[in-house]
Amino acid sequence: MIDEAKQDLLVQYLLGELDPATADQVRAELARDVELREFARDFEEAFASLAYTASPMAPPRELPQRILQAERRARRSTLPAPYSKIIWLTMPWALAACLAIVCAVLSLEQTRIRKDLISLQEQNKEASKALISLQEKNTEASRALVALQQKIAQSERDLAALKEKNVLSELKIATLKAQIAAYKGATAVVVWDKEQKKGVLQLDKLPPPGQGKDYQLWVIDSKKPQPVSAGILSVPNDGLIRTSFHPAVPVESADAFAISVEKAGGAPKPEGQIILVGK
Amino acid sequence: MASAQTQRSAIDWTSFIALALTTAGGSMRAGTCGMTRPAQLPESEFEASLISRIAEGDESAFTALYQRFSASLYGMAFRMMNDAKEAEDVLQEGFTYIWRKAASYDSSRSSPFAWAVMIVRNKAIDRLRVRQRLERLRDKVTTEGSFHQEKDETSADEPTLRERGALVRSALQQIPEEQRQALELCFFGGLTHAQIAERLATPLGTIKARIRRGLLRLRECLNEEL
Repeated sequence: MIDEAKQDLLVQYLLGELDPATADQVRAELARDVELREFARDFEEAFASLAYTASPMAPPRELPQRILQAERRARRSTLPAPYSKIIWLTMPWALAACLAIVCAVLSLEQTRIRKDLISLQEQNKEASKALISLQEKNTEASRALVALQQKIAQSERDLAALKEKNVLSELKIATLKAQIAAYKGATAVVVWDKEQKKGVLQLDKLPPPGQGKDYQLWVIDSKKPQPVSAGILSVPNDGLIRTSFHPAVPVESADAFAISVEKAGGAPKPEGQIILVGK
Repeated sequence: MASAQTQRSAIDWTSFIALALTTAGGSMRAGTCGMTRPAQLPESEFEASLISRIAEGDESAFTALYQRFSASLYGMAFRMMNDAKEAEDVLQEGFTYIWRKAASYDSSRSSPFAWAVMIVRNKAIDRLRVRQRLERLRDKVTTEGSFHQEKDETSADEPTLRERGALVRSALQQIPEEQRQALELCFFGGLTHAQIAERLATPLGTIKARIRRGLLRLRECLNEEL
């Protein structure tokens, strides 16, 4: 049995007089309660039957078509736009989306480049450190090089000195002594280069050889049977001679040197008097 | 009513659809529309099937429902608006709503006709409130208001409507005057309980009771008449 208070509430619900919250409660109750729903339906049926008390009137016959045409127009206006129109409508959004994608890509690229830059800067720092280290090493090497060059120079000097010593070791100096009293005042020195097989003779205070005579220098090689001629000596007026000489034939060992007085033009072997001899 | 509901639920829908598609004869609520109702199918069931088809976009079903309901609804709208052009606008708005919201119709809550009446009535009330004609209409209702004195402009081929009108008027005659007045102000005047109480200088509780009792009595009388 539905009480009067609930019946009043139902009437107000059917007439739309309830506030939204109360109307929701009634709607929920109607959904649950079959008896209440039947009662409300009968109430509404009775209320709607009052419409019959108004005199029926001939309605506009074309009204349904008018309504349907208006609905078709409304539906067309809400249908998807033609393809070209869709393109124009969506183009800005598509462009915006593309721009957003490009921005995102550029942002990622910028991030990547920043990382690369930081990495390169770190590498540059490392390279700078390595360069400084290399420069220091280079300085050290330069110093070492200078020191080495100095050592080389010193070595070269030492070598030159050694070579000089060696040259001297290759030279033989022989002082020729007078064998006759008349030549006691004369001095003669021979410097012989063993390597070059040649020599230098210096004579002083040697008197003229006399008419039809020449002084002749001889190199005595113990391995040869005869002294080897080293040339005729021309004596100037002052008696001083400085001349280089070569034996007429090769000698292996210049064991001694001698000067003799020979007939003018010299002789192939000693025939005159030997006046000076020295080893 | 409860027994009628039980009978409706026992309908074999398969045979109903077949009959609806093949039967050419049968009576109609109003008009001479080509959409006919199967002889053995209650009017309310047939009208509910029309609403179902409208929900699926069936324009012929919409035209059929219009031809069944529009005379009564147009008369009701005219009674409320007291203006033929405005009544036509209300009718158009009401049927546009029916076309769009047919899927929301629940046969367990309302009969098709009651559903349509409440829709058109609400559209009329919206207009009345917007145009602030309530006062003028209330005066007219209280001075002229009588369920017997309406001018019948429908054609002679709508006997059912006239019969139903006579049935409801007869039922109303059995309702006390103050209850009838309150129902009339509520239905055609579009007034709320509070507005009626103010209008008649009567307590709100009394007005609520009059409307409730009036509806109960009207329901009983209609059931007895049917």
